[in-house]
Amino acid sequence: MPRRPNCSAASADFPMSLHLPCPNCGADVVFRSPALPARVCDTCHSMLVRSDAGLAQFGIAAALPFDVSPVQIGMRGTDAGQAFEVIGRVRWSWTDGAWNEWLLLFEDGGTAWLGEAMGQFMLLREYPFGDVRSKTLRAVANGEPAQVGGRIELFGRKLAITDARQALCITAEGELPFVAPSGWQVYNVDLRGPDGECVSLQRDGKATSFYRGRYVTLAELAPCGLRAIEGWALPDYAA
Amino acid sequence: MPPEASLSAPPAPAVRALSCPNCGGTVELRAAGYTVHVGCQYCGSILDTTDGLVKLVTQAHAAQGTPDIPLGTRGTLFGVEWEAIGYLRRSQDYYRWDEYLLFNPYHGYRWLVNARGGWSFGTMLARVPTWQTFSSYMLDGAAYTRFFAGTATVDRVVGEFYWRVAVGETVKTGDWVRPGFMLSRETSDREESWTLNQWVPDRVMVRAFGVAPAGRVWPPLPHQPSPWGAWLGKGALIGGIALAFLLALSIVLGGTTWFASQALPVAVDGREQNATIGPLHLSGRYQRVQVRSTVPRLENGWVDLDYSLVDRRTQQVFAASGAAERYEGTDSDGPWTEGSRDSDVSIAAVPAGDYDLVVDYKGNRWSENGTFYPDGGWMEPTNAPQIVVEVGTGTLYGSNLFLAALLVALPWVIGLVLHLRFEKARKGESDFQPKPSEGSDD
Repeated sequence: MPRRPNCSAASADFPMSLHLPCPNCGADVVFRSPALPARVCDTCHSMLVRSDAGLAQFGIAAALPFDVSPVQIGMRGTDAGQAFEVIGRVRWSWTDGAWNEWLLLFEDGGTAWLGEAMGQFMLLREYPFGDVRSKTLRAVANGEPAQVGGRIELFGRKLAITDARQALCITAEGELPFVAPSGWQVYNVDLRGPDGECVSLQRDGKATSFYRGRYVTLAELAPCGLRAIEGWALPDYAA
Repeated sequence: MPPEASLSAPPAPAVRALSCPNCGGTVELRAAGYTVHVGCQYCGSILDTTDGLVKLVTQAHAAQGTPDIPLGTRGTLFGVEWEAIGYLRRSQDYYRWDEYLLFNPYHGYRWLVNARGGWSFGTMLARVPTWQTFSSYMLDGAAYTRFFAGTATVDRVVGEFYWRVAVGETVKTGDWVRPGFMLSRETSDREESWTLNQWVPDRVMVRAFGVAPAGRVWPPLPHQPSPWGAWLGKGALIGGIALAFLLALSIVLGGTTWFASQALPVAVDGREQNATIGPLHLSGRYQRVQVRSTVPRLENGWVDLDYSLVDRRTQQVFAASGAAERYEGTDSDGPWTEGSRDSDVSIAAVPAGDYDLVVDYKGNRWSENGTFYPDGGWMEPTNAPQIVVEVGTGTLYGSNLFLAALLVALPWVIGLVLHLRFEKARKGESDFQPKPSEGSDD
């Protein structure tokens, strides 16, 4: 039984936490992990990057369009017995819609992405692409387009390519492992297995990142601090 | 536990109103952030609302009609409150059906499908069913049999959707069923998706969404469970228990109560003899009278037995006859015996009264020379041949039991007939119904 996250506890203050003043507006901004050098100032929405030279500003993040996502920054939950907190979000779009990628910071300092699209959730962790043994995916990383419907064998499972599209970053908020400027484009390929396992590949010019995970329901993450939405009762699983 | 105050500042608004760039009508957005296309209910135009801005995708000037469930209606199904936010009319050849997109921000999307008045609740699957045979798929250990295949077209669009919906859009469909559930696959050139549709009884939908009751859907929906199916199983169980009980009862209570017994000597010369046993008092209103005659010494011979049960008061006679016969010998296969030393007969439905049982009997030798027996056979006086006649009554009779079994089975058989009729009508709708002319390869 995974332990329930305690909602009333103060926001986890990691030992690495670094408090700095925003170079744009002077508000206090927190960097909780060295692995997350980018963040959007909560006050003035400046996109900031921390380096040895100090804080640099990379423009202003666009305003987030109104949505009714049940997830919000500060939401906590557990996965595989480990508590996490939602600390960042990137909103992406493509020709046929838009989706959110929520950044989860775990107790041990590890991170994962909670992808939210079409009312479904995927929990993905970064996986070294060097360890991925797939000719098809290697070809995609080298610039070839992926064929939707194509099937590959990976990690001993048969996976199907369900999506291949150019994604456009709309905006971002909170802490992030990279700068996510509006208008940033990546090539995104999603694959899905028979039991809800999924992998995702993102190609940005020459660089390729690879993520591995599974479909989850919000309920199985035992969330608390879900966003309240007018006229809707909070679900049983959040009680 | 209430969420922390700082996390739940003012609740986010749930609905955003847009105005249709074509007709100016107010279009409500209930799943902002997810919704890609909205069909304007006033003019039928399709609007793109991805991330805030409203763009006209296709212009139209015809209202799309009001769906049976007005968009914005909420209802609770399977313990979760859902709001109808989108409506599609789709068709495949002559077959038309309505689909409603349901939304709850904490539970995502579901589908409500209405075909010919029958309802189903659809959940998009994140897992992929496994191919079993060319006519079946497996999901979570259950097998689904193929039912439909074809191409479905979108005819009408009202409300919001999480993809670029368009009138005239077509997808290839395939449906597999098991009682209560339909597994549907939709394939476009971009993606393949699977949905599990659960049949929802009419009354549940009437209560949840206030729809008009449709009454009987005939022929049944492909995945509609036979109303007799569950009943048959239950009926078989209850009937089985009833039959077992009847059998047990007939064994416990139906055992014969023996109340008179008399030994009658058998004459050595094999002449006809008779004896009267009585009075026999029968107290039940009607009863079965059983007469058992045992000939302990019988060997290679037979005894003819004729019984007359005579009512002392009315002189009414109930007659029966029997025989006890037993033979033995040795042939090339070795020693053999045949027959039995006793004879059981019963007389059904004898009314109450005082009776005499008149027994006419005659002993016979099969091998008169008696060479097999040093003492000259079973009828020799040294053997003191005799018949022991016992009289008993029983309360149950086999045919009564049979009648009871028939009564128990009758409703079940009627149920079975109705069930088979339902299943035939249901399967008759399938694109893959077996044709009699086809071989057995299906």
